[in-house]
Amino acid sequence: MNLWQEYKRPTSVAEAVQDLASAAGPALPIAGGTDLMLDLRQGNHPPVHTLIDLTFIPEMSALELRGDELYVGAAVPVNQVALDPMVGTHAQALTEAANLIAGPQVRNTATLGGNVAHALPAADGTIALTALDAVAEVASALSGVEQSRSAGVETRRMPFTSLFLGPGKSAIDKTREIIVGFYLPTAGPHQASCFKRIMRPQGVALPILNCAVWLERDGDLVKDIHIAVGPGGSTPFRATEAESFLRGQPFHDETFARALDCLLDQAKFRTSARRASADYRRHIVGGLLRDVFDTAWKRAE
Amino acid sequence: MTIQSVGQSVPRVDALGKVKGEALYSGDLSMPGMLYMKILFAERAFARVKSIDTSKAEAAPGVAAVYTAKDIPVNEYGLQIPDQPVLCGPGAAKPYTDLVRFVGDQVAVVVAETEAQAAAAVKLIEVEYEDLPPLLDPIEAMKPGAPLLHPDRGSDNICVHYRIRKGDIDEGFKKADVIVESEYRTPVQEHAYLQPEAGLTYIDEEGRIAVVCAGQWTHADRDSIAHALGLPNEQVRVIYPAIGGAFGGREDLSVQIVLALATMKLRKPVKIVWSRRESIIGHGKRHAVILKARWGASKDGKLVATESEVIGDGGAYMYTSNKVLGNSTITHTGPYFVPNIKADIYGVYTNNVPGAAFRGFGAPQALYMAELQMDKLAEKLGMDPVEFRLKNALQQGDTMSVGTPAPNPVSITEVIQAARDKADWANRGSKVVAGTPLVHGRGFAAGFKNVGFSFGYQENCWAKVEIYGNGQIERAVLHHAGAEVGQGTHTVMVQMAAHVLGISPDLVEIRTSDSAKQGNSGSVSASRMTFMAGNAIKGAAEAALEKWNAEERPAIAEFKYLAPPTTHMDHDTGYSMPNFQYAYSAQVVDVEVDTETGHVRVTRVVAADDVGKAINPDLVVGQIEGAVVQAHGYAITEEYKTDKNGKVISDQFSTYLLPTILDIPEQVDSVIVEIPDPNGPWGARGLGELPYLPYAAAVAAAVHDATGVWIHEFPFTPERVLRALGKI
Repeated sequence: MNLWQEYKRPTSVAEAVQDLASAAGPALPIAGGTDLMLDLRQGNHPPVHTLIDLTFIPEMSALELRGDELYVGAAVPVNQVALDPMVGTHAQALTEAANLIAGPQVRNTATLGGNVAHALPAADGTIALTALDAVAEVASALSGVEQSRSAGVETRRMPFTSLFLGPGKSAIDKTREIIVGFYLPTAGPHQASCFKRIMRPQGVALPILNCAVWLERDGDLVKDIHIAVGPGGSTPFRATEAESFLRGQPFHDETFARALDCLLDQAKFRTSARRASADYRRHIVGGLLRDVFDTAWKRAE
Repeated sequence: MTIQSVGQSVPRVDALGKVKGEALYSGDLSMPGMLYMKILFAERAFARVKSIDTSKAEAAPGVAAVYTAKDIPVNEYGLQIPDQPVLCGPGAAKPYTDLVRFVGDQVAVVVAETEAQAAAAVKLIEVEYEDLPPLLDPIEAMKPGAPLLHPDRGSDNICVHYRIRKGDIDEGFKKADVIVESEYRTPVQEHAYLQPEAGLTYIDEEGRIAVVCAGQWTHADRDSIAHALGLPNEQVRVIYPAIGGAFGGREDLSVQIVLALATMKLRKPVKIVWSRRESIIGHGKRHAVILKARWGASKDGKLVATESEVIGDGGAYMYTSNKVLGNSTITHTGPYFVPNIKADIYGVYTNNVPGAAFRGFGAPQALYMAELQMDKLAEKLGMDPVEFRLKNALQQGDTMSVGTPAPNPVSITEVIQAARDKADWANRGSKVVAGTPLVHGRGFAAGFKNVGFSFGYQENCWAKVEIYGNGQIERAVLHHAGAEVGQGTHTVMVQMAAHVLGISPDLVEIRTSDSAKQGNSGSVSASRMTFMAGNAIKGAAEAALEKWNAEERPAIAEFKYLAPPTTHMDHDTGYSMPNFQYAYSAQVVDVEVDTETGHVRVTRVVAADDVGKAINPDLVVGQIEGAVVQAHGYAITEEYKTDKNGKVISDQFSTYLLPTILDIPEQVDSVIVEIPDPNGPWGARGLGELPYLPYAAAVAAAVHDATGVWIHEFPFTPERVLRALGKI
């Protein structure tokens, strides 16, 4: 019993979506494969007819500045994201998250797009991208018309949080759509970000709790802020209530305490039998958020 | 000039093959025409198998055979007592083998041309179960009237009960100025071998069924397999390939009998490799134990009386629970002299995964209780915990809990002092780290354990040495069945043979682990192999050398070493001389506790262990560091979780969290103490389990030192620590 019948290596996004649309049986895109191959081998995902390898598409492996945005292709390996100096300059939270995903071997293979497409509410890369207010570029095949292999692609930009429907449920239809890459705003003056997590044991397991903050300072005032916490709900959680409260406020212990109250009211922490209880997550989120916030605050000086 | 090998850190004889990837483990082996096996596990904790329909599986593509209970000639096995069915289901002659007693019980096996075909066919087997309410709590299971797991084995689920009655407990407590009463719980631990269970069976050139599968005792495996197949022992041959860790867990069988059955019936080679999940649910673990203690001491710092109750969760089958809990019995008062002792130690059948042998063999659990009781008594008396231990440490001639003194030199005092001095015990740094939620703490614990088999078993071990050459020795061949499970025993064996012969270890070839070619060596367990094999090899090598000196060419000699005799425990009092040797251990552990997150980080461990004589000092350090890391997982990161139905929910390494290199103690200082045992080869005692023993208790003491809180149950997960601190 083969886990797949056909393996394709398209060299353009258009070809890839056409391969998806025209496959003779169930088809899936594959990039790093660090999750998908395990699922296929362990029988958690039924065998597919066609695997479409996205790692030979230049657009999806690109990592570059495009105007006032930083573009990270969805098939860029996580380790490359972690080491890239432009990412460090403009999206330090993503650098920090990428450095903590799994172990070195997995980081060399796994991709940022895969981290997002898996749609877990506490994936490290996902939480960083949530706070950085990323925009995803998604491609799909034009429907209804018989297309040649090199044409007929439709791309659209989606706000990052709209990619998620529930735990493990992506808004991307993997049988006909592909995440091409992510656009991140470049960092302006007094803007900075940070990502940290609490986990056990260090290094390989999913986090107990992770947190990313992007903020812009105006002296001692919080000019703008994005806070993401995972898992704080069934999809990557933005603490929008805390953000609204903090905008325009000076940052000190009292405002932080009120922001934390807002977060605790809004977040839906749950107990996971294998990992941690909701009580524990509620208790530690304040310390984690303060640590992340303080670091980002200093960076934005 | 003769070459002195003993005491030298010679490189491991198996290092090159393992580093180059050339060493073959069970899962690496293949033969032409080989078939593959997959097992249908029950996946339920307690049930009666009413019927099994294998017709669809038999008709599936590539399937050679499907076997169920009715196909097993003698449907039972077990290292201590044969209480486990090979396959659970109807149709076997033995009663009650239709009962499923834990999630990893095996119900049927499929043999097919490919692994995928076997896996697909397993899903086509239709089994009708009558589910029974599972008994998962040993305290409930031991109550009179509880449903019986083994109706043919007595009127309750208590599978073993030991009593210690020493002195007069009431008189003893009258002398107590302080009394400490507590209850402790120690967790299950997964062996987590690098290499999951796997094996290959075939018909060998002499028509025997050869079973190539990792284990710890070739001859015992052979006898159990032969018993279930209804064959004479000589018709089965057990060969060990390279073994990726054992830690006690491979003493009990897993895949061997069903593989051998398939080869016996089909006359073809058959292979199986378990997945990690199958390994986690399908084979024994360290016993979870509940320990209740009431201990008293006098103002002058002397233990006067101890009363303890220990309840071990034996799980579905006996495995070695009777011996494991016997060992808990011997060690439950720690390496200390107590004049008055009352203790009851129980093993209980439940529908959990069986409790098995695991490094320390019942001692780590008992010592967790003993060492925390010692710390709490010292605290109540206002004494330093190390001073209090030294005041009570067993001296030569002191009677132990079993009413007799330890036979070999008692070195616990020297070992405690060695750990204390290396760590500079009294001189510790500041507890708090200003401006952070971090607090530091330091803990001490000691331990001891038997070396070799106990309770009246006549310990024995076989070796053969052949010397070749003319004028001078050109090479030697050492035959020994002892299993190399990663600990380095084959290297030590070669060193000891080379030392007697006065030649370089390079000139000694070792041939090993084939029940058809060597005599019985006993199990590689109970930290016994250096002591037992050493005496056997020394005897064989000396006898061969004598023949060599008498001009015999080649000079060949066999030797069977018999250890000093031991006795079993008296039923009512535990009185016995259960062991011929003990070894002693002590540790100082430094921790840093994050009072915000509850994380416990171990910054330094000082581990002192009396090995009698370090035959290979580098390997001793390797064993100490390995044991500390394994104990660190036990104490802090690993958590074997089951749900209310007895299903294992931590059934992958993504949820059963082994320590990684980022978690383990930052520094381990190994202190090798060498106080020779006159019966040991060159004075050697034993080592493998020793450095494991005190660790969890030392961590608990260090966490208490840092936070002021005693935590009676581990692992010390962040959440448990925060709850203990009252923060959630």
